[in-house]
Amino acid sequence: MREVSELTSGPLGIGHFVNLIRKTIKQDRLFQNQAIKGEVSQWKQYPSGHTYFTLRDNDGQMSAVIWRGRCKIDDSIKEGSEVVVIASLDLYAKQGRVQLIVDKIEPINAIGEMEETLRKLKIKLREEGVFELEKKSLPLIPKHIAIITGTGSAALSDMNRLIDNRWPGLRRTVIGVLVQGKNAAEEIVRGISVARKLSQPDIAKKRGQPPVDVIIVGRGGGSPEDLWAFNLEPVARAIIATETPIISAIGHESDLLVSDMVADVRASTPSNAIERCVPDYNAIQMYLSELGERLDSSSIRQIGDVRNKLKLLSSMLKAAPMAGFTKVKIKIQGLASRLKNSSKVLLAKELSRISNFETSLSAVHPYRVLERGYSMVQNESGDVLTEIKQLEIGQRITMNFADGLADADIIEIKNKSE
Amino acid sequence: MQISLKLKIKVSDIMSKKKTYDEAVIRLEEIVALLERGGKGLDETLLLYEEGAVLLKQCQEDLKSAEGKLSELRLEDFEKELSKD
Repeated sequence: MREVSELTSGPLGIGHFVNLIRKTIKQDRLFQNQAIKGEVSQWKQYPSGHTYFTLRDNDGQMSAVIWRGRCKIDDSIKEGSEVVVIASLDLYAKQGRVQLIVDKIEPINAIGEMEETLRKLKIKLREEGVFELEKKSLPLIPKHIAIITGTGSAALSDMNRLIDNRWPGLRRTVIGVLVQGKNAAEEIVRGISVARKLSQPDIAKKRGQPPVDVIIVGRGGGSPEDLWAFNLEPVARAIIATETPIISAIGHESDLLVSDMVADVRASTPSNAIERCVPDYNAIQMYLSELGERLDSSSIRQIGDVRNKLKLLSSMLKAAPMAGFTKVKIKIQGLASRLKNSSKVLLAKELSRISNFETSLSAVHPYRVLERGYSMVQNESGDVLTEIKQLEIGQRITMNFADGLADADIIEIKNKSE
Repeated sequence: MQISLKLKIKVSDIMSKKKTYDEAVIRLEEIVALLERGGKGLDETLLLYEEGAVLLKQCQEDLKSAEGKLSELRLEDFEKELSKD
């Protein structure tokens, strides 16, 4: 509307005006991707591949077009068929003509039939007690994930990217299947069967891999028809029969699909399935090393406690009444051995003292002196004479040399002081 | 002597059964909780510690064993491969 007010200074060109209307239509969500019900008339398929018709009911009508290859057209649609279309409104400015651009068309009886089948299947499964079956829990760490999904799909690359973020190099097997169209259900069932085989220990061993321990079956979002395979009984039965935990991972937020109801885990999207079953590798590593540290420290503390208890016990023993006697006995024994030891030491000391004495004794023996050139004088009675006053004139003395004796008479005495 | 002999038999029993990763982690958590609570004798402490150490090693090996290649094939190729086995 802003554009109009900006341009009110003069008359608008009609083409401009029509295009403004077109823009308004395109911006209004009510007119885009709307499901519309009506009766087909003037149904005409042109050689160009485009199909033109009018969608009408008692209150109104509008022309509609299905561009070539835009969607699958059920063969049963003809003049007068009741249909539901998913269509967007468009204005063909050149002709000022409003028409519906159809993205999908389904005959109403077919939709009715499908919904009726689904309703009956849900009742049947509920009566069988399938929804009450115990859900298998996912392993804390998956050693081998099997992913059943469309080859090269965006859902698959989302899942792979997320796994590599959380746990780089985690083992996985991707089984490529059709996830929409006529053959989808049958391929999904076969895919599940392959995954089940890979989860058997003997087969896994032959292939040199751990057995598959988590199965993800899924695809990205789409219209109810696109997802319909996941509402079919064979798929439900295959999921129910699987012994390995299985995650239904279909990108949609609306009603539950049957696969969601029977799987062990329902993930809201394929990425959510990865978040549910692949833990963060670093977090797991940190947790394990924390457990290891706690194991060490608690054991060490526990051993310390035991040692302290022993210490306490031994001090309690010492304090016991009978301990006094033992203590004295120990003391006596201790003293005795100390005594024994110390007397030994004393003896040794004495011996060494004596031997020292001997050495010094021999050093002072007179002969050692005589050897050095001195001589020893004795009187006739054998006394050693050391002073001059012990002598008198005419006295006989004996002179000792190291190698012999000589007698001499004193003929003169001289004092040093003289 | 008799007691420790009995305990030894018990430990070898425990060790002979290979646990899944989940079982191993749960038992390891239990052992750590027991030791942290305290009040165990020396023999029991050592046994618990030994068991815990073995479990911890197993858990770390299990983490390693989760690493492997990414194999992606179309459904028919897997079916063909498996029919050969």
